[in-house]
Amino acid sequence: MSALTLTLKNAPAQRIDCSPLTPEALADKSVADIELVSGNSTVRVDELFDITGDDINNIVINNSNGKLDFIGKAMTQGSITVNGDAGAYLGQFMEAGDITVNGNSYIYTACEMKSGQIKINGNAGDFIGGARPGYKNGMTGGTVIIAGNSGDRTGDHMRRGYILIEGDAGDYCGARMVSGTIAVLGQVGAHLGYGMKRGTLLLQQAPTNGISANFNDCGSHTLAFLPLMLASFKKLDSKFAELETFSRVQRYAGDLGGIGMGEILVKL
Amino acid sequence: MIINGVTIDETFAEAFPMKGTRLIITALNAKWAMISAQAFTGFATSVIACGCEAGIERELDPSETPDGRPGVSILIFAMGGKGLAKQVETRAGQCVLTSPTSALFSGLDSDKKEIPLGQNLRYFGDGFQISKMIDGKRYWRIPVMDGEFLTQEKTGVHDSVGGGNFLVLAESQAQALAACEAAIEEMKKIPNVIMPFPGGVVRSGSKVGSKFKALNASTNDAFCPTLKGQTKSDLSPEVESVMEIVIDGLTKEDIDKAMRVGIQAVCDLGAENGIRRISAGNYGGKLGPFHFHLQEIMA
Repeated sequence: MSALTLTLKNAPAQRIDCSPLTPEALADKSVADIELVSGNSTVRVDELFDITGDDINNIVINNSNGKLDFIGKAMTQGSITVNGDAGAYLGQFMEAGDITVNGNSYIYTACEMKSGQIKINGNAGDFIGGARPGYKNGMTGGTVIIAGNSGDRTGDHMRRGYILIEGDAGDYCGARMVSGTIAVLGQVGAHLGYGMKRGTLLLQQAPTNGISANFNDCGSHTLAFLPLMLASFKKLDSKFAELETFSRVQRYAGDLGGIGMGEILVKL
Repeated sequence: MIINGVTIDETFAEAFPMKGTRLIITALNAKWAMISAQAFTGFATSVIACGCEAGIERELDPSETPDGRPGVSILIFAMGGKGLAKQVETRAGQCVLTSPTSALFSGLDSDKKEIPLGQNLRYFGDGFQISKMIDGKRYWRIPVMDGEFLTQEKTGVHDSVGGGNFLVLAESQAQALAACEAAIEEMKKIPNVIMPFPGGVVRSGSKVGSKFKALNASTNDAFCPTLKGQTKSDLSPEVESVMEIVIDGLTKEDIDKAMRVGIQAVCDLGAENGIRRISAGNYGGKLGPFHFHLQEIMA
């Protein structure tokens, strides 16, 4: 069997809800006949895409466009490769499997993701791993790797799991974070950890904007969990796999405007 | 069966089912990992009064430990999962959490059953403890005065075997001890087993039951040399000292291997070093369902 390959014929005028295009949702269905919601109407998959291949556990979307929303929504198995950009809510509620985007992804990537892995080889938009507006729990597991830069409010309300950013993170990184780990190899924007409750922001370099006054310096420390965590990155297809292990960090605790149990760790 | 002048009795050692787990203690250096491990496995010779049987399996190279520091692997066994959980928790809390620079990890995965390791110890952190999920396993970072105590949340429980044994019958105390020391040296090389008694050797082997109602075990009078004329003795006139090696292991096969190398080491010393017989703690089937037939093991 060869990968089920969907090649976008033309850039769509309206946003498309691609949530039916997951391995479990396609089981026992004729792919061509599926109707996707587009604006206030629907459109057949074969009107939008040229379809080849039949392995629904290995889906490839070619010529992808930033208007293709909800790719991999609630997927529980298999893999999806997006060649091009992915729209909003990529991997929302995802439970297992992996998604690779060879392009950029837009707002709410990995929104309320539960497990699995998402790799964005370009940049990602705002609210990576966040919670939907009005909801309190962002991603609760899994790993998101951003090879480029992330937008603002990365990990908003994040509860568990890992967001690994190889480039820079935007403003409000880790804002309102409940738990979990965000690691950034590049720089971070303003208001790092704003409203953070618990969790870890691991920085490879000190932020040029400095640390917020809402975080108190706890001193420099050797933390035993860091080598363990860094070793777990070795299996990833990421620059994080190449990191030389370290355990020496400067620790800042906050956000003291709230319960103050979060931490920013800056590599020394 | 006679090996190098040593008679191997046609008997079997009786052993019983236990629940066991392996823990890994690491520290800044091997010295402190060992200190913590020795504290953890202290007063853990017999379930009869200690609640568990525990021992050091081996030292671990930094490349073999989860956090890349020197470590020690220990095995601990108890009669049931609940008892094991209680012993692991109290010993971890008093002997590892307290030990400078230490960290504590599970050395045994189990799909069947897990018991708490740091799951409750975390409360020592008084709300400052931090959880981290790494590779699907939860760890706890507990702030302590020398930095952070890192511990895995749970450890796996394995259906194990306790009480494998053999007896060394010698012409003198010194010869019995030398033979047991030689056996322990070889048996320590076998993975998945411990010899929980002091130095691996027990001189007060017991039989099941007692004339005193309060006791469920008492001295094995048939093998006490001073009682040769007083009881139904199992000893010949030349035998003046008997020592026992007790083995707990994760599987029956592990104990088989340990007994084989141990008995072989004793037999290598042979009759010329005063070793007369190898026997075993056989209680007529009253003690447990696992039977280790000496002659089959040495065949």
